[in-house]
Amino acid sequence: MKFEEMKTIWDSQNNEMLFGINEQAMHNLIQSKMEKGKHITNTSELLMVVVNIIAGSFVLGMNVFKGNENIFMYLLSAWMFGTAFFLLASRVRRIGASKKFDRTMLGDLEQAISVATYQVRFSFLGRWNILPIGSLVALGLWDSGKSMWILAAFIIFFILTNYASGWEHRIYEGRKRELENLKSKLEMSK
Amino acid sequence: MTEKEQKQIYENWLMQYRALVFKIVRAYANSMEDQDDLFQEISIQLWHSISSFKAESSPVTWIYRISLNTAIKWGRKANKHQHEPLDKVQHVLQEGSNPIDPRLDWLYAQIQQLDEIDRSLALLLLDDFSYKEMANILGISESYVGVKINRIKKQLISKLNTYNNHEI
Repeated sequence: MKFEEMKTIWDSQNNEMLFGINEQAMHNLIQSKMEKGKHITNTSELLMVVVNIIAGSFVLGMNVFKGNENIFMYLLSAWMFGTAFFLLASRVRRIGASKKFDRTMLGDLEQAISVATYQVRFSFLGRWNILPIGSLVALGLWDSGKSMWILAAFIIFFILTNYASGWEHRIYEGRKRELENLKSKLEMSK
Repeated sequence: MTEKEQKQIYENWLMQYRALVFKIVRAYANSMEDQDDLFQEISIQLWHSISSFKAESSPVTWIYRISLNTAIKWGRKANKHQHEPLDKVQHVLQEGSNPIDPRLDWLYAQIQQLDEIDRSLALLLLDDFSYKEMANILGISESYVGVKINRIKKQLISKLNTYNNHEI
C-alpha cells in the first residue's frame, strides 16, 4: 500500500469541515457568562461603593471628633468619597450602555464582552487605587508618630493587597479573552 | 499595530485557516471536552502571536508552528481532563454534520498513537510541507526530520496495510 493512498484519505477532509459550531450551546454559554459577569460586576461595584463611603465616613468622623489635625487622614477620607462617587458614575454609565445591545446571540456576546472589558478596567483601577490609599494611610501613620513597625506592617499589607488584586485582574482578562474567542467561533460559523 | 488591525488579522486567520487548526485539534485531543479546550487554547495563542508575526513569512507556516507548539504544551498539562460533569456540558465545537470517511477516523487514531513530535511531523507530512519547512516549524534539524519522516511513513503504511487486509 502506498503513501499516496493515505494522502488521498487525508485530503478528503479538505472538502468537509471536521467540526461545526453548536449555536444553541454557544448561545447558552454566552448567556451564562454574561449573567455571571453582570452579577459579579454589580456586586463588586456596590460593595466597593459601600466600603468606600463607610470607610471614608469613619475616617472623617474619627478626625472630626478627636479634633485631629492630621491632613493626610482628611485627604484619605476625601479620596474615598471621590472613589465612591466615581464608581457610582461609572455604574450609571455602564447600565445605560447595556441598553444598546440587542437580544440576538451576537448582541448578548457583545454585551458580555463589554461587561468583561468593564471588569478588566474596574479591577485595574481597583488595583492601583491601593497606591494612593496606601500612601495616605502610611503618611497619616507617620504624621501621627506611630511606631515604624506598625507603619511597616501597613506597607506590607498594601503590597500584598496589590499583588492579590493583580491576580484578580488577570482572571478578568482571561474571561474577556474567552469571550473574544467565542466571538471568533461565532464568526467562523457564519 | 492597533487592536483593530490585530482583530482583523485574527479573524482573517481563523476564517481562512480553521481547517488547519481543526486538524491539529483532532490529532491532539480525543474527547469533545478536550477538543473544545485545545481549540480555545490555540485561538488564544494565535491572538497573542499576531504582534510577533512578520508579514514576509507565510501565515500557514506561522499558524502551524503556533498551533503545534500549543497542542504539544497543552498535551503535557496534567489538568486537561478536569471538566464539569458530563450532564452539564454542552460543547460549542461539534463533529461536522456529514459523516467523515471511516478511514480518516482510523488515520487520526493512528496519528494519535504517535508521540507528540512524530504526531506534528505526520500532520506536516500529510499537508505537504517540505523537510525544510518542517524543521523550521518544529525547531529541529532537516536531517533529523528526514530520519523521523522515513520511520513514520513506514509505520503508517504498515498499519494501513494491516487495516486494509482486515477490511477485506
